[in-house]
Amino acid sequence: MAKVDLAGVGIWSEAFSGWEQFCAVAGGETVEVDTKLQPELISPRERRRAPQFVKMAVEVMDQACSMAQVERASVATVFASGMGDMQITDYMCRTLAIMPRTLSPTKFHNSVHNAATGYWSIATGSNAPANAVSGYEHSGGVALLEGAIQAVEENIPVLVAVQEAAAPKPFKSVYDSDHPLAIALLLAPRGTCSSPVCELGVGISTDAPSKIQSASFAGVDLERNFAAEILDLLLAIADGGNNRISLRISPLASLSIDVTTAGDGSRAVG
Amino acid sequence: MQLAIGSYTATSAAGIGLAEMSESISARRTGLRRNDLEACDLDTWIGRVEGVESVMLPGNLEHLQSRNNQLAWLGLQQDNLLEHVDDLKLRIGVDRIGVVIGTSTSSIGRTEEAYTQLLPTEELPEEYRQPQVHTLHSPGIFVAAAAGLTGPSMTISTACSSSAKVFASAARWIRHGLVDAVLVGGVDSLCNSILYGFNSLELISANQCRPFDRRRDGINIGEACGFAIVAKEGVLPDAHLSLAGYGESADAYHMAHPHPEGRGAVIAIDRALKRAGLTADSIDYVNLHGTATPANDRIESRVLAQRFKQRTLASSSKAWTGHALGAAGILESVIALEAVKNGVVPGTLNCEETDPEVEFQVITDNVEADVRYAVSNSFGFGGNNAALIFGRLDG
Repeated sequence: MAKVDLAGVGIWSEAFSGWEQFCAVAGGETVEVDTKLQPELISPRERRRAPQFVKMAVEVMDQACSMAQVERASVATVFASGMGDMQITDYMCRTLAIMPRTLSPTKFHNSVHNAATGYWSIATGSNAPANAVSGYEHSGGVALLEGAIQAVEENIPVLVAVQEAAAPKPFKSVYDSDHPLAIALLLAPRGTCSSPVCELGVGISTDAPSKIQSASFAGVDLERNFAAEILDLLLAIADGGNNRISLRISPLASLSIDVTTAGDGSRAVG
Repeated sequence: MQLAIGSYTATSAAGIGLAEMSESISARRTGLRRNDLEACDLDTWIGRVEGVESVMLPGNLEHLQSRNNQLAWLGLQQDNLLEHVDDLKLRIGVDRIGVVIGTSTSSIGRTEEAYTQLLPTEELPEEYRQPQVHTLHSPGIFVAAAAGLTGPSMTISTACSSSAKVFASAARWIRHGLVDAVLVGGVDSLCNSILYGFNSLELISANQCRPFDRRRDGINIGEACGFAIVAKEGVLPDAHLSLAGYGESADAYHMAHPHPEGRGAVIAIDRALKRAGLTADSIDYVNLHGTATPANDRIESRVLAQRFKQRTLASSSKAWTGHALGAAGILESVIALEAVKNGVVPGTLNCEETDPEVEFQVITDNVEADVRYAVSNSFGFGGNNAALIFGRLDG
C-alpha cells in the first residue's frame, strides 16, 4: 500500500470552484460560482492560446498548490482523462473531414493529451517529470494509483489532475455527459507537508467498488462524468474521520483508498 | 535496482517482428514509401506497415475494431510474445502482471472515419459507436484483453515520449510491489490528425527523411507497435537484458519547440544515469530521437555534446521506420536492446552529408561493437522528455 499525505485539493465544475465551495454545496448551501476560467498562473499570451480543457486543469492544479502552500515548480504532475479534450478532437475530426489542409497548427499542438502538463510546466518553470495518462472510465483511480506510487518511490510531491469535458454532440453516443468536472489532488510523501488534509493509503484490493453517492450538485448533474468517481473520495475527506473508499481500476481490479484524518478534521472543512 | 527485460518485439515499416527488422537494418533498406494513403493527399513519404487494414481481430475483440488495434494485434502475434505472457501468468499469477501502453493518438483514426459519415442528427453511425475505441485508453484496453491480463492497466499519452515513459511507470510499479511484471508497449498508427497536423506545422518532408544530414528538411510519419515484458529480477529465468535506468523531465519552454539548449533533455539523461548509477562514459550507444527536423537534430547534438565523449556511438533509426510518435519510444528501445544483445549498431540511414553545424558526430554506417549500455532518447510536444538506459542483466 502506498501511503501519502494529501497536501491540497482543487476542484472546479459549473456548480462550484474550490474546496470550500465544494464542501458548502455538498452541505446543501448555495454559492456563487465564477464559471469563466481565467487561471492567472498562465501568462495572458499563453492563456489566449490555451484551450478551455487546459484552463480547467491548470485552475484546479493551482488551487491544490495554493492550499498546500507548496513551491509549484517542485511537483511532478500526472494528468488523467478518459476522453481527453473532446472539443479539440471534435474540431480536428470536422476539419479533417472537409478541409484537412486548413487544420490550425496551434489547435494541433494543443491536441496532445499532455497539453495541460505542458502549459503547467511552462507557467511554473518546472522541469519535474510530467505525465498524462488514461484509464478510460477508471482514469481517476488509475491516476491516483500512479501518483501515489510515484510520490512514494521517487520521494517527490505529485500533483494528480483528473478531468472530463462535456461531450460534443457526436461523442454523446459513446460518452453521455453534459457537464465538465476537474479535480486535482496534491499527494506528498508522508511527513513532508506541514498541515496535510488527511492521509491516504492507496492499494489494489478485491473489494467491491463503493456505492456511488449522488453526484448532482446545485442542479448540475455530474453522475455520468467519469471524473465523478473521485467525488466519493472528496465527500469522505470533507466528512473528516476515517473512511475506506473502493474504486474500480480495471474489469477485475479495485483500488482501495484508506482516508485517515488527524484530529477533528477542522482543516478539511475549512 | 535493475529490472529484467524478457521477451520483446517490434513491428514497423522496417519489418513485422524482430527478424525482419534486423534484416532491414543489416541490409540498410528503408521501410519508407511514397505516401499511398487513399484519404491523404500530402506529398510526403510514410512508414506504413503492409496489410494492417486487413488484419482480422478475434471475435472477443471485434468491438475494439480500429486501425490502431489491428496494428497492435499484428504486433502481438510476433516473436511468441503472447506465449511468453501466458508462461508468465502460469509462473507468477495473472494478478501480479500489469499493463502500461503508450500512444499519442490512440484510435483517433477511427473517430476521423466516423466524422466523415456523421448522421444528419450529428450522431456517430451505428458501427462506430464503440465506447472503448474513442478513448485514449483504447490501446491499453485492447492489449490487456488480447493478452488476457486483468490486473492494473494504464495508457500513457505524452506525445512522442509516450512509450518511453511506460518503462518508468512499470519500474515504479514493480519496485513498489504493486505487481512483479508489466507488459509494456506502444502503438500508434497512421491517421490524418497526425499527417495534416504535422503538415500544418510545416514539419513534414516531401523526401525520405535524412536525420543529421545538412539537407534534412523534416519528418516522415510512420506507424509502429512494440511490446516488452519487464519484471523483477528472478522472475524471468531466461532474461539477459535489463532496464538499468530511466529519467523523465519537462522542458518548461514551449508547447511545440524544444528548448534551444536542450535543457529538459539533458536533465532526463542525467536522471537516467543517476538512477542507473552510471556516468556518461559507460554509455556505448545512444539511439537518438533524431527526427530529421532542422531544430531537433541540431539541439539533440548539442545535448549529446554536453554529456558524452565522441567515442560514444550515436545514431537515428528514423529513416528506416519514419517517426512513429507515441510508439517511437518502444520501437527505438527495442532497437537499443537488439544492439546490446547482438552487438550491431545501426548507422544513421540517409545521412549522406553530415551537417557541419551539428555538435556531435553521428555514425552513418552500421558498426559492430560491444554495447554494454545503450541509451534511448525520446522527446515530445509539451516539452516532454524521457531517456532510458538498457544493459545486460549482470551489468
